[in-house]
Amino acid sequence: MFDLALLSAGACIAEVTSSDVNYPPENIIDGTNETFWTTTGLYPQHFIISFTSPVLIQTVEIKCVNVKGLLVDRSVQNVPEDFERIQKRVLDHVEGQQQTEEFQLADDTTAQHLKFTITSGHDHFAAVYRVHVNGRAVHQSM
Amino acid sequence: MPNNILRGACIVVGEPTSGKSAVTQVFHSDGSHFPKSYLMTVGVELCTKTVNVPETNDAVELFIYDSAGKELFYDHVQKHWDHPSMVMVVYDVTSETSFNSCAKWLERVRSHNHDVSIPGVLVANKIDLDQRRVISPKSGKEFAESNGLEYFECSAKEMQNVDQPFHYLAKQYYRLYQEKIEYFKSLA
Repeated sequence: MFDLALLSAGACIAEVTSSDVNYPPENIIDGTNETFWTTTGLYPQHFIISFTSPVLIQTVEIKCVNVKGLLVDRSVQNVPEDFERIQKRVLDHVEGQQQTEEFQLADDTTAQHLKFTITSGHDHFAAVYRVHVNGRAVHQSM
Repeated sequence: MPNNILRGACIVVGEPTSGKSAVTQVFHSDGSHFPKSYLMTVGVELCTKTVNVPETNDAVELFIYDSAGKELFYDHVQKHWDHPSMVMVVYDVTSETSFNSCAKWLERVRSHNHDVSIPGVLVANKIDLDQRRVISPKSGKEFAESNGLEYFECSAKEMQNVDQPFHYLAKQYYRLYQEKIEYFKSLA
């Protein structure tokens, strides 16, 4: 079991709907809760994390602020498309601290890409500090 | 090109014929288009315009929802107000009715985003019709002040002072964003 959603592990942000140059989406996968990505107004907003190879996922954890409606989709294609829904949540507002939401995924959940969609927020703007994806690489037989 | 672009929904409301579409279109066309003949807005007309934030390299892209004032369309209109970011209430200075319903329109928009503070302006339109004016600047200002709005007077027909309320809203929205960034930093 490793955290797969790390720049240092080769993961990257394949797509994002809004960004402030000072708070880029790469801050979500830089390995710390200290930095964040911020939306810049209006909903929905989404970002896609792509892994270097297909992965088997056990749990996903997101640390964020002001997020209300949240969708998680996965894609098993080489390119980030044909997404299917794996989670749908409504997060409570917590004043003065980060929201922490954890997802236990069904056994054998594989993905090449994960898409996180913020469908609504508790404020005009929301921030995501960190996404943990615990799992391992899928060993593919050639 | 600006460094960063914020996006926000600016909801324009008020009684029928107060000049919401005229104000919106004059602003949107940079003063090159004033609709001379009245065309009732049915539902919501959406247009966008990007406004630079003074003394920064950032901009706010306004999604302007010019909303029908006719009661008949209200059910339909309010479905477009998912996440109002800013509100502009327009009234006609020659009409008591249009001024008196500002509170109703403001409340309607705010009820769609109760937890969040929404920057707002009160726009007194048609000030070119000086002889027929029945709502004084004083009444307008008082209403604005007691409802947390900034007061502006304009004439869409004379293309006078139409941009200012939009620029004010963009600036306030940008300020909220900066406050949020500080808040996000404090939670890191």
